[in-house]
Amino acid sequence: MLLITCPHCGPREESEFSCGGEAHIARPLAENNLTDAEFADYLFLRDNPKGMFLERWRHAAGCRRWFNMARDTVTHEIVEIYPMGNTPKSKAGKAAHADSWRRDTAAEAAAKPASKSRSKQGG
Amino acid sequence: MASTANKGSRAPGRTALSGKTKQTIATPDGGRVGLAITELSHLGKINLRGGDDILPAVKKHTGCSNLPENNRTVQIGERTLIWLAPDEFLVLCEAGEEAGLHSQLMLDLGKVHAAVTNVTDALCALSLRGQALRKVLAKGCALDLHPSVFTAGMCAQTILSHAAVTLVAVSDDQFTLICRTSFAAYVHDWLMDAGLEYGVSFKG
Repeated sequence: MLLITCPHCGPREESEFSCGGEAHIARPLAENNLTDAEFADYLFLRDNPKGMFLERWRHAAGCRRWFNMARDTVTHEIVEIYPMGNTPKSKAGKAAHADSWRRDTAAEAAAKPASKSRSKQGG
Repeated sequence: MASTANKGSRAPGRTALSGKTKQTIATPDGGRVGLAITELSHLGKINLRGGDDILPAVKKHTGCSNLPENNRTVQIGERTLIWLAPDEFLVLCEAGEEAGLHSQLMLDLGKVHAAVTNVTDALCALSLRGQALRKVLAKGCALDLHPSVFTAGMCAQTILSHAAVTLVAVSDDQFTLICRTSFAAYVHDWLMDAGLEYGVSFKG
């Protein structure tokens, strides 16, 4: 059983929370320019690492608010808890975010609103 | 909605636990009652969502000068403001006053970005008193309920033996427990069972 520190309610037991799976999956804005395989990266493929993992969690039985967590799936160590919309600040969390295969996908490039993301997709 | 702003004309009506038997089961040795359960029948409950700009309207109707901080309650007279989440509060008011309070809050909030919902009949409130109160609750709740940690004026939404509840510490040996109406019978039965060894009573 994990003791999870809700950013609003403080330390609570794991059964009060629900896990929302992998964090930082951005929805492609220009999905029509993506191939089906590239869109599948966003829609279906989820990471399942042995080690540091960035997850979304919700304090379902408490304040019902979402937050992000950097957790080691081997040791269950919770390295960092940070708000939705933010990226991790801890060294291990930053590394996990940067090293994710998802950072190099066309789906993630298409999720950035900047115009350069469109030119990157190529076709 | 069964309730009206006019307290005098209000029909008594059924409550979540009006079908439960009033009973006192004291301990065989010494006849003590460690947990006394009372249903706070028809206690007014209003869910209030909004940012800091709801304070003037809330202050006008509850008298509290500040919105409660995380895991805290503010009680002024008969009205209590319970923190539920950032931007979400539960207002407890006198039985029968909830519909009036609801419409007054709606009026005074005007164009403020807020949501006011009358949840009086959706939730059931129990008053729990007694020396064994925290011991009984600890049987089904992982929260640290020690009097030095969960002090008077604190509140928490948590799980009590699978049922989602809101606990409010009124004083060291008095809590208000709020659960869904549909869970009230279960919570009542569980409390009666868990409190048996300390002596337990239920007054409708």
